Amino acid sequence: MRKTTSILVPMLTAACSLAVGQTAPSADKGKVIYDRWCTPCHGAVAPPENRFGGDGLPGTSALRFKYQGRLPELLEERTDLVPEFIRAVVRGGFFGMPITRKTEISDAELEDIIAYLTTNSD
Amino acid sequence: MALPPNVTEAEFSAALSEFASAVGAEWVFSSDEDVALYRDSYSIYWDEPEERVASAAVAPADVEQVQQIVRVANKYRIPLYPISTGRNLTYGGSAPNLSGSVVVDLKRMNRVLEVDEDRHFALVEPGVSYYDLYQHIQERGLKVMLDVPDPGWGSPVGNSLDRGVGFTMAPFRDHFGAHCGMEVVTPEGEVLRTGNGALPGSESWQDYRYGVGPMVDGLFAQSNFGIVTKMGFWLMPMPETYLTGTVTVPRYRDFDSLVKEVSYLEDSFLIGMPAFGSPAAAGGFGGGSPAFASLMQNGWPSVEQLEQFVSTQGRPAWSVDLRFYGPEEVVRASWESAKRRFRDRVPGAAFQDGDLWRLPLSPEAQATSVLKPQLGIPALEIFDMVARNANTIDDPWEGHADFFAFLPRKADAVHNAARVMFETYTEMGVPPLHHPFSTPVNFYSRAFIVVTFIPTWRDPARNAQSRELFSKILDRCAENGWGSYRTSPAFQDQLVSKYSYNDNALLRFQEKLKDGIDPNGIISPGRYGIWPAGMRSGRA
Repeated sequence: MRKTTSILVPMLTAACSLAVGQTAPSADKGKVIYDRWCTPCHGAVAPPENRFGGDGLPGTSALRFKYQGRLPELLEERTDLVPEFIRAVVRGGFFGMPITRKTEISDAELEDIIAYLTTNSD
Repeated sequence: MALPPNVTEAEFSAALSEFASAVGAEWVFSSDEDVALYRDSYSIYWDEPEERVASAAVAPADVEQVQQIVRVANKYRIPLYPISTGRNLTYGGSAPNLSGSVVVDLKRMNRVLEVDEDRHFALVEPGVSYYDLYQHIQERGLKVMLDVPDPGWGSPVGNSLDRGVGFTMAPFRDHFGAHCGMEVVTPEGEVLRTGNGALPGSESWQDYRYGVGPMVDGLFAQSNFGIVTKMGFWLMPMPETYLTGTVTVPRYRDFDSLVKEVSYLEDSFLIGMPAFGSPAAAGGFGGGSPAFASLMQNGWPSVEQLEQFVSTQGRPAWSVDLRFYGPEEVVRASWESAKRRFRDRVPGAAFQDGDLWRLPLSPEAQATSVLKPQLGIPALEIFDMVARNANTIDDPWEGHADFFAFLPRKADAVHNAARVMFETYTEMGVPPLHHPFSTPVNFYSRAFIVVTFIPTWRDPARNAQSRELFSKILDRCAENGWGSYRTSPAFQDQLVSKYSYNDNALLRFQEKLKDGIDPNGIISPGRYGIWPAGMRSGRA
């Protein structure tokens, strides 16, 4: 389950560095963007089998193989994600996950995703 | 700052400034950090001097802005490389053929202009993804079915222009073949419409694609003769049901009869895309039985050895999943008639009834369905192939480069292609993927494809090995008369050079067109082997 009490912490932290005219990153907006762009690979609901040896969506399955239970396979359940890492993966690609351009996910939208995914962060 | 070839820094800066005037400064990307986002994530030349990289990117919002960009490019001789959603991974992604090109990123042109559920077509802009179009249809409850590629996050425009493919009935899974009507910005900045779109007042742009005179639509696929800004597509009416059934045949030699009968069903439009398999060799090199490993230990077996292997497995040599779309009465009758025909023609043919699904699927059924591509539902689940999976737990791929050997629908051709792949891999010391039970796919209903997947990495040494393997497979296939339908810029010149009939008459004809249509050579120089006049010296 997601924690809700700590949502304000990353939002306030991010807000401190906002330029005039920018709005604070929103975890709620981030969830909408995450659902659109990320859940097709990193979501929880999946067919019972896939074609190359996994048993879930590819991002979720890959992280299950990678972490072998040491960390949650669902990004939304992670507590260790930091903004720099999320930015680096989205903008740089990572093991089959391709680069995402700013015409697809803008910098502001990426900050929303970060706000959403760091909701649980310690 | 990277520069386009033969363009000074001052000229490039002036061009960027004029691009900014056309589209707004925020939609011109020229910092190293931003331009890096246009790299091909699956490049087989990653971080090597030969990697194709952009100099900048510009993202127009409408066709008028595209025209302005093209005019500026002509003024400064800036090579442009249009992308729609940039998700053409494995085939170059969002990176250009020619380093230094300015990517024209059409992602912002993302309007679904029309979906007609009575005449069964859609008209979309290049930035519309299959997900976007699917969502548009779902939200309105329109009774049409998409035919989607797998993965499905590309665009109908971009996918069809690279001759991408899907999974349903033959007329729809050939995505370029299913298009009807284009709007194109020419290399000189004019807007033209093809087919009945050229007739002012016509209401049948998406109904009749030929118009009058030569049909030029084909010039804009896998090419560099213009920037497509709108495109129509014929859609399948939403079928009432979807039914599957599996046919098996017992002997190795029965593949020939199986293929002929499936071709009859395909060409009669009685089935969607079939899926061939081999129960006897299930798992193949990736996890087959000890008996399979023993069979292959001394190289390619004889037919007699293969028949002997099959007879000891207790499983049929071959299978095919048949897929039927339509009213329940019709699909059940089609399946029964298919059974009758197989029974009459292949001794020992056996049948397994599949499931009947009523369409459209509920949202809950969609989420957990393994049938998504067959039912026109966009998905990314195929990325399991390249993401870390059970076969690559400690060494996941970064990407892949695929070669698709295009074959006639004949059993011998499939076996021969599998053998050529097997022998090429073996010769290079790479564990082979193919074996005598390898099966074809037929995205294009009139052809078989034997496909091979070659990993790409962020490691130059490993990429060099992948390139050598890919290149060798391409050569060997061409020696046998097998081309491929699509490849990345890294191999486009090599592939095009194989289509050399009569001293490259086809390519020379295309080059004459290029010189006339794009005199400054600004649109996608080098795409599918078509280079502007000043850049042809090195071609085969």
